[in-house]
Amino acid sequence: MSEVFDADALSRAARLAGFDWTPQELEPARPAVEAALRLLATLDALPLDAVEPTTQYRIL
Amino acid sequence: MSVDLAFASVIDLARMIARKEVSPVEVVRVHLERIAARDRSLRAYITVCAEAASEAARTAEAALMSGRPSGPLHGVPIALKDLYDTAGVATTAGSTILADRVPATDATVVRRLREAGAIVLGKLHMVEFAYGPEGLNAHHGAPRNPWDADAERMPGGSSSGSGVAVAAGLAPAALGSDTGGSIRIPASLCGITGLKPTYGRVSRAGVLPLAWSMDHVGPMTRTVADSALLLRAIAGYDPADASSSVLPVPDYLAALTGDVKGLRVGLLRDFFLTSATPEVRTAIETAARALQGAGAVVDEVALPNVAHVAAASYAVVASEALAYHTSWLKTRAGDYDPEVRKRLQLGAFISGAHYVRAQQARALVRDEIDAALAQRDVLLAPATPLTAPRLDERQITLGDGPSDVRGALIRLTRPFNCSGHPACAVPCGFSAQGLPIGMQLVGRPFDEATVLRAADAYQRLTDWHTRRPVLA
Repeated sequence: MSEVFDADALSRAARLAGFDWTPQELEPARPAVEAALRLLATLDALPLDAVEPTTQYRIL
Repeated sequence: MSVDLAFASVIDLARMIARKEVSPVEVVRVHLERIAARDRSLRAYITVCAEAASEAARTAEAALMSGRPSGPLHGVPIALKDLYDTAGVATTAGSTILADRVPATDATVVRRLREAGAIVLGKLHMVEFAYGPEGLNAHHGAPRNPWDADAERMPGGSSSGSGVAVAAGLAPAALGSDTGGSIRIPASLCGITGLKPTYGRVSRAGVLPLAWSMDHVGPMTRTVADSALLLRAIAGYDPADASSSVLPVPDYLAALTGDVKGLRVGLLRDFFLTSATPEVRTAIETAARALQGAGAVVDEVALPNVAHVAAASYAVVASEALAYHTSWLKTRAGDYDPEVRKRLQLGAFISGAHYVRAQQARALVRDEIDAALAQRDVLLAPATPLTAPRLDERQITLGDGPSDVRGALIRLTRPFNCSGHPACAVPCGFSAQGLPIGMQLVGRPFDEATVLRAADAYQRLTDWHTRRPVLA
């Protein structure tokens, strides 16, 4: 994930998620969003295909 | 023998009260006076329940004199992170959004503490909505780390006030909450004991959430024995919490034998010890040798995929936190601490697939920890890879390279939020600057007894937990 997003793109993406945040409001968060997406992409390196997702609940 | 009531242990206070050697009224008075004298500069409390605590102390004294003590914590004052619902007392989560929120009922664990005889001293400072490990809060200012005479060091968070109050003698014990390390980080930076129990061991009902599948609640005390006593009081099945376990609650105090002969301890070097600063690394290795000297069998063990917890934890916490805060983010975004608002906004850019991928990664790492513990009783690691950073510090150099301070603080604690394993932080040394160093012991799910036994044995071997900050 090497894309660089501008604040307009983030504003449109946020609207899809239900938030009416302006590009100006999102500009301070833009570097963090890019860093976060790079971080999330690292999960693709894990051998997860056979791993069932957990919600951790160990009800005993 | 003269006893400093402000620094007496919970166990000693309960014993002295039960024997009528000291009145609960006196114990509460000492703490309220100390809060009045010290908390203007320490800022550990958001709300002090002076009148209610004094009244409860008089009631406790009367009950005792008429032969009706209510439980093992009878008359002992305890303070609560300000996200535990308290009937009739504001519960704000360190925010302005909830500044006027006054719950009608107690959280389950608060009710259990009161039933055990405890007296609520007040509500403690915290990072807004528990979303941050530094201990900073734009609304109330940061509580002061009592070990730093210059008042420029982080207390750690998000249970910042809990760490400060217990370390500075403003409460004998506190409850904190831990989503990525928020009990163990302030415990490490403030030089106290902090226990994150197994996920499901202690009810979260009535505790404001940050991320439901990662939130744990637990005690913060000056000794492991006190944490054992408090855990017994608050643990156990609660139908109001869907994650609550029906497993019986053992007598954790009875498990504290001081004996670690044959205890198998796995020292986590890769990722954990290698990321620590030299002073922290030396302290942990010295602690391992101390346990070995007492008869424990120490080896080294690695968790190959633990580095991926950073991404998994981020995806889960940001998504769940956004879900909880959606309504306020739409209507009151300007009322958040700007830094917390930014963290919450990030959740909007995580896809459903990211979230599920993160849950898969959690399962992978959980299984690795389970495998390491299949052949060992506990794992040993630093609680934080560094001592308390300066309040204005944003970047730091760790043992394996540069890191932002926030990531560094939660790096070694959040794997066990992802996995749900119990973990107890205890002080294990001091830096050349006089700042506490913390280690953590991690155990098998629902085996808090062994974790506490190992941590208590370590405290019997050392005196780090008995040292007190010198307050100006």
